[in-house]
Amino acid sequence: MNSFRFDELKIGMRESFRAEVSSEKMHAFRELSGDCNPLHNDESYAREKGFRDKVAFGMLSSSFLSTLAGVYLPGEHSLIQSVEVKFLKPVYSGDSLLVSGEISEMNSTVKQIVLKVSMENQSGERVLKGKMKVIVNE
Amino acid sequence: MTRDEVFERLTEVFREVFDDDSIVLEETTTSKDIEDWDSFEHINLIVAVENEFSIKVPMGKVTTMKDVGEMADIILEESK
Repeated sequence: MNSFRFDELKIGMRESFRAEVSSEKMHAFRELSGDCNPLHNDESYAREKGFRDKVAFGMLSSSFLSTLAGVYLPGEHSLIQSVEVKFLKPVYSGDSLLVSGEISEMNSTVKQIVLKVSMENQSGERVLKGKMKVIVNE
Repeated sequence: MTRDEVFERLTEVFREVFDDDSIVLEETTTSKDIEDWDSFEHINLIVAVENEFSIKVPMGKVTTMKDVGEMADIILEESK
């Protein structure tokens, strides 16, 4: 786990990691959230709706942003203040997501950083983009 | 910049941060008067104030300012 302090950070710093969207994680997220919507749980239903397979929960993909801030940037001293995301393309079970964040703004008074975040699948397609505000809670 | 101008611009900042166009600021307005003004939104407010007025709020005053009047004092002081 990284443990950056505010003074060690600068605009343009970037961290990334890969996260797998497995059927086990889909099942665990369904149990955790109670979201039994058939788009995420029924392959034939998802196909009728025009998708090639069950669509992964957007909030499951988004949950990797917690790891991005809490483990990578800034890591240990992270206190997530807000998350804004747009889902650009569907994510499916079996996808491997490259989760990335780059510091785009910093405020030294309140030790807040703004991360520009994005996720790409194994084909290099951007599936999610967004912005996170994180307090560096040293 | 006059105090009235500070209040005018500050009102717009508050309305933007709290997404509430009905906010009317007075010298004695405090976090108790604005429902969503909690510690997290206070951070957003400080960042927005610094950006709007191109100032840095002294670290020690971030958590000690007791009302909007005091916030206006800081803005005027730091804008000199």
